[in-house]
Amino acid sequence: MANKTLKKDQVVSLLNKVAATYQLIAPVADDSVVMFKPLSSAEGVVFDYVNSVLPPKDYFFPQTEQMFKFSTRNNQIVINPPDPVKERVLFGIRPCDVQSIIAMDKVFDREYKDTYYLDKRAKTTIIAVSCTEPLPTCFCTSVGGSPTSAPGADLLLTDVGDVYLVEVLSEKGEAFVQKFSEFFGNENGEGAKKAEVEKAVAAKFVRTTSLEGVKAKLDNMFEHPYWERLARKCLGCACCTYVCPTCHCFDICDFNSNGFEGERFRCWDSCMFADYTRMAGGHNPRPTKKERVRNRFLHKLKYSWDRYGLGHCVGCGRCSRECPVNLDIYTVISDVKEVDANV
Amino acid sequence: MRGLSEQLRNTAKELLREKKVDFVIGYAPGSVNVKTTPYFAFTPEEAENLVWNPLCANILVTYLLDYRYDDVKVAVAVKGCDARAINRLIHDRQLKRDKVVVIGLPCRGILDADKIAAKIDPRATITDFEYAGDNIVVKTDKGDVSLNRKEYLLNKCLVCEDHNPIVADIVIGEPVQGIAAEDNFAEVKQLEALSPAERDAYWEKQFNRCIRCYACRNICPACNCKECCFDQAEPQWLGKANNSAENHVFHLTRAMHVAGRCIDCGECDRICPMDIPLRKLNKKILKDMKELFGIDTPGKKTEDDNPIGSYRLDDPDEFNY
Amino acid sequence: MPMCDNCQNPLIPHPATITKIIDETPDVKTFQVVFDDPEIQKNFRPKPGQVAQFSVIGVGEATISITSALPRIIKENMVEFSIKKVGRLTTVIHELEVGSKVAIRGPYGTHFPYEMMKGKDLLFIGGGIGLAPLRSLIDFVLDEENRDQYGKVDIIYGARSKADLCFKYDLFDRWPKCKDTNVYVTIDREEPGWDGHVGFVPSYLEELNPSPENRVAITCGPPIMIKFVLQGLEKMGYKDDQVITTLELKMKCGIGKCGRCNIGYKYVCVDGPVFSLAQLRELPPEF
Repeated sequence: MANKTLKKDQVVSLLNKVAATYQLIAPVADDSVVMFKPLSSAEGVVFDYVNSVLPPKDYFFPQTEQMFKFSTRNNQIVINPPDPVKERVLFGIRPCDVQSIIAMDKVFDREYKDTYYLDKRAKTTIIAVSCTEPLPTCFCTSVGGSPTSAPGADLLLTDVGDVYLVEVLSEKGEAFVQKFSEFFGNENGEGAKKAEVEKAVAAKFVRTTSLEGVKAKLDNMFEHPYWERLARKCLGCACCTYVCPTCHCFDICDFNSNGFEGERFRCWDSCMFADYTRMAGGHNPRPTKKERVRNRFLHKLKYSWDRYGLGHCVGCGRCSRECPVNLDIYTVISDVKEVDANV
Repeated sequence: MRGLSEQLRNTAKELLREKKVDFVIGYAPGSVNVKTTPYFAFTPEEAENLVWNPLCANILVTYLLDYRYDDVKVAVAVKGCDARAINRLIHDRQLKRDKVVVIGLPCRGILDADKIAAKIDPRATITDFEYAGDNIVVKTDKGDVSLNRKEYLLNKCLVCEDHNPIVADIVIGEPVQGIAAEDNFAEVKQLEALSPAERDAYWEKQFNRCIRCYACRNICPACNCKECCFDQAEPQWLGKANNSAENHVFHLTRAMHVAGRCIDCGECDRICPMDIPLRKLNKKILKDMKELFGIDTPGKKTEDDNPIGSYRLDDPDEFNY
Repeated sequence: MPMCDNCQNPLIPHPATITKIIDETPDVKTFQVVFDDPEIQKNFRPKPGQVAQFSVIGVGEATISITSALPRIIKENMVEFSIKKVGRLTTVIHELEVGSKVAIRGPYGTHFPYEMMKGKDLLFIGGGIGLAPLRSLIDFVLDEENRDQYGKVDIIYGARSKADLCFKYDLFDRWPKCKDTNVYVTIDREEPGWDGHVGFVPSYLEELNPSPENRVAITCGPPIMIKFVLQGLEKMGYKDDQVITTLELKMKCGIGKCGRCNIGYKYVCVDGPVFSLAQLRELPPEF
């Protein structure tokens, strides 16, 4: 479908209309923290943020998610599915986060279909917005991404002045544009303006490396002393994994409210926690920070390629920004390129 | 301040060369120019990477817990606030004083990386810091930036009570004076002025944001239990679901567990990815304990005077458990 | 765009009822269960070595190897799980009674390569509860429908004490009566009333020294036992693809999503739990 335009001063009205039919999910500021939240109107939506502290993964893979409700009364097990999810519009996510959803698709849509994830995925229209002001920690272009293209999104908006250029990237996006057609105009030279925006943004990136050679190097670095050195400063908290848009590890727990009724839920878990792999008998295949830190970085930069054929670091820079001890995956990538793998 | 970094490096090199310690925990430049990162130097060559400047925010004393059962001697760099953590670990029997060489860093306050990031060109290399009255001048290869300290220091540094480490074997540089301390408990008093319902709403909002990454616990020198109750599988004290109830249990339990032991380093607050003002919670308890028991800020004294964790025969109250 | 119209939710377990409980050892019980839905029971067709997720609804769920094998699962219309009491959930499971409800999903994971084993002699080496996953293959091979397709079957099994031996009725009664089948049982230390072999499994293995000629070795037990058994087999001349083991790692989802059972880029729940030693050598030593 041909590109469209959307006047900037029309966005709030559009989102208000969206919120009337769909569940609108958009970035808002909770005190100082920008995060995606379900909204009943466009009030409070922030447009000038670079990226949210938490990725939008919560809306496909919630931190805590009911799997089913149960009753065990009268020695009978009754299992009921969770309440259905409404059709949603996820507005304002960045291209790196769109790529992270593609990465998670590979995990949840495999030999076993994860119906919780796939149901939400199917019911979500993703409206991405190109980045014009990358943060010093952003490095999507170093890992194969782009701040101004978002394959996998349904619509991509790019700020080209008074209007957004609207690229329609899927049938879902097309249906959205048709449904709200009164807000969209036809493209008239904005595509050319986007090329200029792209050039300007690219020049703003402080971080520029590439993944070239990194995977090949890591293939032979499992026993490298680098990991022990790196792990010393790690606190073993889950900050990096919880702010990561592709980290998808979870635990499954039962909540029994009265001895008979309750729910089974899954919740984010982190490979950085000691008890994550500790077995009931006490054996732990990843007993120290060294093994856990190594596993996380290999997962992002090597295992994901081996298993899913793509990287699980999208360069959003969240862990770089939020890690309490500045244990930065960008530094790891740079270090891996430098170190002698044969040590 | 470059001279002080140099002095720190020389001190570390000497300790390592003379094998007085197995390694030195200090700071190295971080992955962005407004941050430093904890750094472990095992050789005099590695000690060459150490720096000391107003970007050295992290408390490093907590790392000593990783080595508490090892037969190693460690040198650790401590600022005034961090020094209280040395006493904390000693009081809690997690550290023997002779297993650590404390390198004291007199400190005039740490810059808030989030605030100064907007002022410093991310491509610039910071070369030095200079003090000029109320301002600190950040010198970079792309020009100097003068910042008002009251505006750009971490909040905790504006009410600092220990610019100079109270525990130190070696001191880098001369004792310093900070800017005049503001009311240490102003923020707590603001919260106290709220009605219970308003306060409840305030904390409800804060705790709802919590993602339970446990960074606050893991960086805390007072959270030094061998196994944290929140990690125990049997019995499971805390559900893994992220919801208001479990998050309240986590934060309030942790606050009570460190009551009378929290050294007020503010690290939980600084590093929280969700900007939960945890220091206010701990400071409320500190304020109450000061008022009720007349205690000093924990860690300030060499002898343990924690009224909650100690028992005296002349205690007027029965020992109830 | 990934889609999932009408696909089954693999994370929903199916209610089942415990029909019999066998006390194997002081801390191991075997539970015979039948799915409440006869259709599910009819379609539950695990291959030897596969695992299932075993729930006590309201308490939790854990990965448990399926202890019985197909011909018997069909004939007796029930599935067996042998469960050692090690943690919170298994403690609750041990308190269940006949008639108690549980819930099960699966089967999951890879199975023992019983096709590749046809025409070969089989050497089973088990320790403690490690015999439970091996038992599914032993039963499969020894079933009269399959017995002729395999050569000699030797079973070396050990436990700490006589009381800690699992499946005594199989070890001392059922299996020795099968064609071309030898069972060698050992316990760690001498004890009154035991006139069998005494010593650890790896040393008993070396003592018996079964030839690698046309033989496949299948082992499962505590990590330390597996380590020395693998060394012993290598010394005896077994090649890496002649040695099969099954791994136990902490698992939650069982379907390759939740992340914790990875060894390198392989997930034990879907790429295992059964691995040949040749496959294991390709993985980082992190299990």
